[in-house]
Amino acid sequence: MPAIEVDHLRRIYRTTIGVVRRRAKEVLAVDDLTFEVGEGELFGMLGPNGAGKTTTVKMLTTLLLPTSGTARVMGLDVVRQAEALRGRIGFIFGGERGLYWRLSGTDNLRYFASLYHVEPTVSKQRIPYLLELVGLADRGAEKVEGYSRGMKQRLHIARTLLHDPPVLFLDEPTIGLDPIGAREMRQVVLDLQAEKKTILLTTHYMFEADALCQRLAVVNHGRIVALDTPQGLKRLVRDMSVIEVELFGVQHDVADKLRGQAYVDSVSLEDQDQRQLLLVQTARGSEAVPDVLLQLEGLRIGKVTVREPTLEDAYVRLVEGAG
Amino acid sequence: MNLLQAPAQMRALRAAATLAFLSNAFDGFIVFTLIVQPLVIAVLGLWILRGTGQDYGIYVVVGSGLTGLWSGLLFISGNSITSERWTGTLEMIAALPTPLAIITLGKTMANVSQSLVSMIGAYLLASIFLGYPLTVNQPILFTASLVLMVFAFVSLGMVMAPLFITNPDVQRWQNAMEFPVYILAGFMFPILMLPTWTTPLSYLLSPYWAAVALHETSSGEGDPTTVGTAWVAMIVLSVFYLILSRYLFRVLLRRARRDGTLGLE
Repeated sequence: MPAIEVDHLRRIYRTTIGVVRRRAKEVLAVDDLTFEVGEGELFGMLGPNGAGKTTTVKMLTTLLLPTSGTARVMGLDVVRQAEALRGRIGFIFGGERGLYWRLSGTDNLRYFASLYHVEPTVSKQRIPYLLELVGLADRGAEKVEGYSRGMKQRLHIARTLLHDPPVLFLDEPTIGLDPIGAREMRQVVLDLQAEKKTILLTTHYMFEADALCQRLAVVNHGRIVALDTPQGLKRLVRDMSVIEVELFGVQHDVADKLRGQAYVDSVSLEDQDQRQLLLVQTARGSEAVPDVLLQLEGLRIGKVTVREPTLEDAYVRLVEGAG
Repeated sequence: MNLLQAPAQMRALRAAATLAFLSNAFDGFIVFTLIVQPLVIAVLGLWILRGTGQDYGIYVVVGSGLTGLWSGLLFISGNSITSERWTGTLEMIAALPTPLAIITLGKTMANVSQSLVSMIGAYLLASIFLGYPLTVNQPILFTASLVLMVFAFVSLGMVMAPLFITNPDVQRWQNAMEFPVYILAGFMFPILMLPTWTTPLSYLLSPYWAAVALHETSSGEGDPTTVGTAWVAMIVLSVFYLILSRYLFRVLLRRARRDGTLGLE
C-alpha cells in the first residue's frame, strides 16, 4: 500500500473583490493532482512560487479541505479521518514561524510533545536525542528568539519527529537558509530517509531536488507537468544545449523577443546581483549563438557560454512549456 | 473523545494552561489589564459613591474585580489567539492530535484563574491604601460563588474562542465587547438602572449572574433565593455555553479549513 495516495485533488480559493459591488473571485491553486508515494520513498514536488505545492501539503496535513478529489495518508482519508491521521504524520512549513520564541528550544519541544501525546517518560529521553540529531544539543536551553533562521528550521525538524511519525511533509525546509545551513538541513533529510521515513518534500531548488529525491513531480499552475526520477527528467532535455548569455541592465521583455524564434525551445531570464543571466535552450547548440546575439543587438553583453543541460533546464522547459 | 486518550489529553490541557500562565505573567499589557485598569475603575467607583452614606466599599471592590476578569478573558484570550496566528503557531496546533478545543480550554482556565488577581488587587487598594472597612458578609457562600464564577467565565471564554480563532479581525470584536458587558452584567451598578429591554440580554450572560451572586454574598444579605437562582443560572448557562462551544469549534474550524483562514497566507 502506498504511504500517500492523491487522486484527482483540486483546491479552489474563493474570495471577493470590490467594496461596494462585491464580486466573487476564484483562484485555482491545485488542479486535478494525482500521484502516489511509496513507503520509505523520498518524493519531491518541484515548482515555482504559487504552483500549488504548499496548498497540496496543507491538504495532506489536514489544514485545508480539498474542493474535490481524495487523498489518503497511511490509508487514512485526510478529510474523514483527519483526527486519527494527525498523530501519524509530521510536517514543517519553511520559514521561522510556528515556534514559541519566548520559550527555550527544549521547552518548545516539551510543549509540543504534550500536544503530540508523547508519554513523559518517552519525551524525557527523546527530546535530548532529537536536539542532538539536529545539532542543537548545546543550545536547547536558550530562548528561540535568539536562534538563527537555520537553528529554528532544525528545531522544527526536531518538533516534527517528537512522536516518531512514519510520514513527513517538509515544505521548503531550506528556504532562506545560508548555504551551510541548507547543507546541514539536507543532511538531516537524508538521515531521516535512511530511517525509512516516507518523505514528501517541496522545493524550488533544482540541485536540492536532484540530490535528495528518488522521484519528482514538477508542478506548475496547480498541475503536474512531469513525474519521473531526476535522471528521467534530465533525459527530456538530452538533445538540447543551453546558451547562457550574461547581460547588464536589460528589461525582462528581452526574453520575449527570443521566445518566438523557431530554433528556441525555451527562454528564461534570471536576476543575479548586478547582472542578469539569459538562458536559451535550443537543439542547434552553438550554431544558434549568432542568431541569439542578433536578437540582443544594442544590449550590454558579457560572457556567452554553451553547456550541457541540467535538471534545472529540464524544469525550465517543463514550466515554460506548461506556462 | 477516545477514553484511552484521556490521560494524554489531560497532560496536553495542563501543558497549555502552564504555557498560558507563564506567558501572561511576563506580559506588561496583561499586568495593566488585570491590575492597573481595575484599580482605576475601583478608585473612580469609590470616589463617585463617596457621598451616598452607604457601605459601598466591598460592592465597588467586587465590581471592579469583575471588570478585570471580563477584560482579562476578552483581551488575554483574544490577544493570545492573535499572537498565535501571527507567529504561525495557530495553524500548527490546529493539525495536532490534541484538539484545538482542549488547548484553548487549558489556556482559558489559566487566563481566568490569573484574572482573579484583579479582585485581590482592588481589595488590597481599598482596604489597605484607602482605609475602607471591607468585610464579606457571607464568606462561605462568597467563596462558592467565586468557584462557580470561574466555571462561568471559562465556559463563556470557550464560546468566544472559536469565533476569535476563525475571525482574523479579532481585535475589533474585543474592543466592541468590553464595555457593553461591564454595563449589561451590572458589575458596577444594578441593571435596574438600565432600560427594561436590556434585561433579557443581561439574563443570557453568565457574568451577570456571577455579579449577582458575588454582590449578594459580599455586600448584600445573602438571600438564599437570590443566591440560589444566580448559582443555578450560572450552572445552566455554563453547560449551555460548553455545548455551544463544542458545536462552534466543530463547525467553525471546518469552515476555517475550507476557507484557509487559520494562517496568514
